[in-house]
Amino acid sequence: MATLITLRRLALIALLVGIAALLQAQIKPAIGIRQNTPAVHAFTNARIVVSPGVVIDKGTLVMRDGVITAVGKNAAIPADARVWDMTGMTLYPGLIDSYSDLGMPKKPEGGRGGDGPPAQPAAEVRGMKHWNGNVNAAQRAADLFAPDAKAAEKLRGMGFTTALVVPQKGIFRGSSAVVDLGDGTANQLLVKSDIAQHVTFETGGGDDYPNSLMGAIALIRQTALDAQWHRDAMKVAASNPSEPRPEFVADLAALEDVLTAKEPVVFESTDELSLLRAAKIAKEFSWKLWVRGSGSEYRRLDAVKQAGAPIILPINFPDVPAVQLPEDALNVSLNDLRYWDEAPENPARLQKAGVRFALTTATLKDPGTFSANLRKAIDRGLSADAALAALTTTPAQLFGIAHKVGSLETGKIANIVVADGDLFAEKTKIRETWVDGKRYEVKPKAEIDPRGTWKATLTQASVDTLSIALKGEVESLAGTVSSHGKDSKATTASFNDLRLGLVFNGDSIGMPGIVRMTGTLAGGSLVGSGELSDGNVFSFSAARTAPFKAEPDTSKLKPPVMASFTPVYPPAEFGRAKLPDQPASVFFRDATVWTSGPQGIIEHGDVLVERGRISRVGKGLSVPSGALVIDATGKHISSGLIDCHSHSAAAGSVNETGDAITAEVRIGDIIDADDIAIYRELAGGLTVANVLHGSANAIGGQNQVIKLRWGALPEEMKFEGAMPGIKFALGENPKQSNWGDRYTSRYPQTREGVEEIIRDEFRSALDYERATKDYQSGKTKIAPRRDLQTEAILEILRGKRLVHSHSYRQDEILMLMRLAEEFGFRVATFQHVLEGYKVADVMAKHGAGGSTFSDWWAYKYEVIDAIPYNGALMHDAGVVVSFNSDSDELARHLNTEAAKAVKYGGISPEEALKFVTLNPAKQLRIDKKVGSIETGKDADLVVWSGSPLSTYSACEQTWIDGRKYFDRAEDRLMNAEIAHERAVLIQKALGAKKGGDDKTPPTSKSDKPRSWSEEDYSGKDGE
Amino acid sequence: MKQTPMILAAVLLAALATAAEIPAKKQSGPIAIVGGTIHTVSGATIENGTILFDKGKIVALGSQVDIPAGATRIDAAGKQIYPGMIDSRTTVGLTEIGAVRATNDITETGTVNPNIRAEVAVNPESEIIPVTRANGIPVVITSPDGGAISGTAAAIELDGWTWEEMTLRAPIGLVVNWPNMTINHAWWERRSEEDQKKARDKQLNEIRGAFRDARAYMQAKKSESQSGIPYHKTDLRWEAIIPVLEGKIPVLVSADEVQQIETAVAWADQENIHIIIVGGYDSWRAADLLRAKNIPVIVMPVYRTPTRRWEAYDDPATLPKKLWDAGVRFCIAGEGGASNERNLPYHAATAAAYGLPKGEALKAVTLYPAQILNLADRLGSLEPGKDATLIVTNGDPLETSTAVEMEFIEGKQISLTSRHTRLDDKYLEKYRRLGGH
Repeated sequence: MATLITLRRLALIALLVGIAALLQAQIKPAIGIRQNTPAVHAFTNARIVVSPGVVIDKGTLVMRDGVITAVGKNAAIPADARVWDMTGMTLYPGLIDSYSDLGMPKKPEGGRGGDGPPAQPAAEVRGMKHWNGNVNAAQRAADLFAPDAKAAEKLRGMGFTTALVVPQKGIFRGSSAVVDLGDGTANQLLVKSDIAQHVTFETGGGDDYPNSLMGAIALIRQTALDAQWHRDAMKVAASNPSEPRPEFVADLAALEDVLTAKEPVVFESTDELSLLRAAKIAKEFSWKLWVRGSGSEYRRLDAVKQAGAPIILPINFPDVPAVQLPEDALNVSLNDLRYWDEAPENPARLQKAGVRFALTTATLKDPGTFSANLRKAIDRGLSADAALAALTTTPAQLFGIAHKVGSLETGKIANIVVADGDLFAEKTKIRETWVDGKRYEVKPKAEIDPRGTWKATLTQASVDTLSIALKGEVESLAGTVSSHGKDSKATTASFNDLRLGLVFNGDSIGMPGIVRMTGTLAGGSLVGSGELSDGNVFSFSAARTAPFKAEPDTSKLKPPVMASFTPVYPPAEFGRAKLPDQPASVFFRDATVWTSGPQGIIEHGDVLVERGRISRVGKGLSVPSGALVIDATGKHISSGLIDCHSHSAAAGSVNETGDAITAEVRIGDIIDADDIAIYRELAGGLTVANVLHGSANAIGGQNQVIKLRWGALPEEMKFEGAMPGIKFALGENPKQSNWGDRYTSRYPQTREGVEEIIRDEFRSALDYERATKDYQSGKTKIAPRRDLQTEAILEILRGKRLVHSHSYRQDEILMLMRLAEEFGFRVATFQHVLEGYKVADVMAKHGAGGSTFSDWWAYKYEVIDAIPYNGALMHDAGVVVSFNSDSDELARHLNTEAAKAVKYGGISPEEALKFVTLNPAKQLRIDKKVGSIETGKDADLVVWSGSPLSTYSACEQTWIDGRKYFDRAEDRLMNAEIAHERAVLIQKALGAKKGGDDKTPPTSKSDKPRSWSEEDYSGKDGE
Repeated sequence: MKQTPMILAAVLLAALATAAEIPAKKQSGPIAIVGGTIHTVSGATIENGTILFDKGKIVALGSQVDIPAGATRIDAAGKQIYPGMIDSRTTVGLTEIGAVRATNDITETGTVNPNIRAEVAVNPESEIIPVTRANGIPVVITSPDGGAISGTAAAIELDGWTWEEMTLRAPIGLVVNWPNMTINHAWWERRSEEDQKKARDKQLNEIRGAFRDARAYMQAKKSESQSGIPYHKTDLRWEAIIPVLEGKIPVLVSADEVQQIETAVAWADQENIHIIIVGGYDSWRAADLLRAKNIPVIVMPVYRTPTRRWEAYDDPATLPKKLWDAGVRFCIAGEGGASNERNLPYHAATAAAYGLPKGEALKAVTLYPAQILNLADRLGSLEPGKDATLIVTNGDPLETSTAVEMEFIEGKQISLTSRHTRLDDKYLEKYRRLGGH
């Protein structure tokens, strides 16, 4: 055996060398003897798929010097052409892999934050690079490309002849290039450079800016503005030599074509919400958007379609979930199960929706699984023509190379796939791939076929004649040796380099022991020798008595198993087919209504809701005809609860810790509409959440007030017209007291430093404003660079942005108020503010709200004086007080938190409930719309089983905008539906693969660890 | 604004009875609380009853009780009397400020520390103690944590001059943390599947190995009296496990996932020891097994989010009801921490909001923890012979707005003030001077 294999390899190498290297150096001087084998080939008798849907059943294709010169039924064969008989073969245009890291420098390893070892020291910076190592827009794949023969061979084996290669480092990664997947040098393989600028949301982790998703988005946004400024400033500077010289940044200069939408931007998305984020940014700057998809686009198909971007689509389908034992299955979510069940239909659903896409091997752990996954996608509804287009014409058009590749037409590069059947059929083999007119063998069709029945005549053996039947594939023969009507199956039957090898047990056919034979096929007959078990040698010759006849394929076509369930929003658990209806009018009858408004608490009260708004509140109201009547007899109704400090529904970290000032980052960029915390909080009566940046920085990011419209898109969750705000943080967290021993050098490390860095930002914002005015009045010629960080700060000073400041100690609370007064604005809320009770009189006078924990204390030194009477003391001093959660758990029962104001400090129940309804609404300046049950306000209502302040009460219904987003009875049905879907899909998974013990890669919908908030930086859950 | 003068009155009453947080004097004569509603928990509730206690023990209770001459009478008309609540898992006394390392005495280095004893580091001066007891929790189980075997927990009375005086009973149980049995595929788990398995097996072997070694040690030490058997040197770790092997104390096994619970139960069976499941998130999934083996569960906490995306939002809250329905013995603990263990009653109330009968919720923080932790001879209900460790309230103690107005530990009336009330008083004075209040 070993010998045979070696011989076969040698032959392969010989063949490769035998065909002339077509890609001859054009510039480099020849070394040694020139190689000038003619490069003219004619493929005859081939089935030619010219392009998707255009087929020549039996035709000829001619190429000369790497370019197709003729294709047609009767194309003339030039006299100088080498003719390849392609009978039984189908020719396809070479496939294009629309995203690859082939030949690119490896992705750098990310550093780690926390107490781990420091990240690797930064590489030496040379040239006019961007200050941030994540902005590598000037990188060009064409410059970085180094051919990778092994990777190219693997891709060619699947029919790829061309790939878009993409640099892998940074958020702005630079421009991609199209290369052919042949053997040549980079110079020869390049088809087209600077195809598109590639942008990711990926951060390296570690301590450097940015290290969060929202930080990455902020950097993208600022870089877009910087590139505009850079372009304009350079222009102005050129004609105004006396102006201060603008910095030259190569990575900004490289974005000029992006700014004019001449060069597309490819965002690399990680899930469907990430795609929508990309679309939002691209729209903001009018960029020409393409997206490298994730495979989960179908989950928000309409929105993805609306985004309008062509998608470079991976087909990385999840493995069968691990569900073998019931206990294993517990930890597999319905989301995981559904994703496994549905993802293979993603390409088909995109096709059906009319979304333009090209396919890629990207994100596959083993690119070799591409073909199998593609077949799966086709089984699940993707049309073969669409699949072929996504691998040929679509990427060729997108990349602007349709005149060169993507179809088998005259004048195009001779990139050709030779297959022995339909390219996407399971049994089809790709025989060879031609790149730039050069032949690369994959599984070449045997030139001589040894199969059939042979009659061998033996000399000096115990039998005189043998019948030898050879079946199966030439590469994997099955042999049977017969004599005297008895058969023996060969244990080895091989045919390599025209030599047949046979090993069989001859006991049953009169040749005792193991018999080995080798024969050479020449001139239609086999001649060779063999060795018997006793060591004696015999010779033989054989002639074919019957040709090989393939057995008909009797295997039945199995109908594809399609996804079991229809889409819900958000995907999987507790999703609905559509948003809850908004009835024209809803009448809540006979409840104890806690209005949190001037009407106080109404016993046996009614609430009428019309078109999502509260229209009447009172006793004995008449029911309008057609109204949906909710009998709330014995129940209590409150206004929807409002959490003034939440970190729910945020994707990725809520702290951008790369800098002490991060006013430019926006929670609004990272709303995670699928966060299960949203549904669970609805079930506790919460309707509005102020989603805040963490407290790692003196000035953190911009907050986002949302309504918990479960099922809606992130943009649809945003509270319309809510005043923008920003997170500040004072004390231990921004000065990194509890971050670990490594964190002792970032400014600030003291409370004094916190004050100064904030003051510095305020002054700098005023300087910025002045510089803008100077430019506007013509004093300066070069416009000041737009700085989103400083603009956000300026908005604070101009009263257009609310400050929500994390704080504990009275000194820092007082400090910030005085600082604000110095700059002429008011702090909107102090968050947590656990020593607010010590300076409540100053807070009241200043006008700051207090958004506090009801009773948290003792988790860190600065809260040693926290007391549960804080809320009552502040309230009694005239401060608008709310109780917040800072926790996905606590946010589920803010009503009983409010009860603690009754317990500690004797606030009346009616006033106490306002701590979680009207007061947070006032603090967020949304009290004109929500926070109480008053005519004209949004119908955000909660139906409780008893008093909302009782620990024994449960939330029964939660309404937002007159739509019922939570209903306990409906929840029970949803649980039953979830159990049903899980059971069906677990059975399916068990059937899909024996054992079912492959693990499912985690999807982005995996549950977060409990109470994900700012704890990383404080040493206590939340804050 | 302050609409409940009752609460203020109660605070004043308590303040008069005992000056600011000074440990109470031993009960010096019989005390009769008269006219209140007595919730015995173990038996019928007595309206307008009298409870008489002396020398720290309940002497009699009922609607007709002979009050000895010279007894102190406390009028409790309109008040409610309950046994003091027991928090069956805390670190009260072992920590002051979570983020300040110097104040934490919870986790010893290494992973096998059965000989660590919680009671010896309980700081009577901890500000957390008065805060906890003020909400009707006179007794807590204080416990070390961390590693595979953390040490032994102790029952601590929340009033006294020294830890010795405060220790009601120790050891109460040996704390074992069962390793995670399932592989975590979530994005935030950085370890590979293989590494997770290795970590799990290492921790499992540590636990199993420790008990086997302890058994061998016990056997070797016992056989020393026989002729020819040499002396075996001391191993404090294994000596601490002997009471478990002898069936004198249980193992408090922290386990949430069903695999953890099942493997822990199987291990207990193999080792023939008594265990209590702590945490028990999935315990209802193993209800039949737990009932068959008579293994109780300390449910902790009720306030938590479901661990799996597909689970019902209220699964943690309905757990006690499910255990009750299935006949599994259980009690309810708080968060297993210190500073906010005062919220223990609300965990129990939430279980009631989600299906557990209210009476059972009350038992889950009084009688049941006493029974499960072998304290029922002294605590958990109001019965003659038991400790006079009780609370007088103005309502249902599981309701947030209810105030604890008086509290007794072994007949001593304890202070209900704390750092919190002191600071409240101090700043009330500030605003009084400013003329605000």
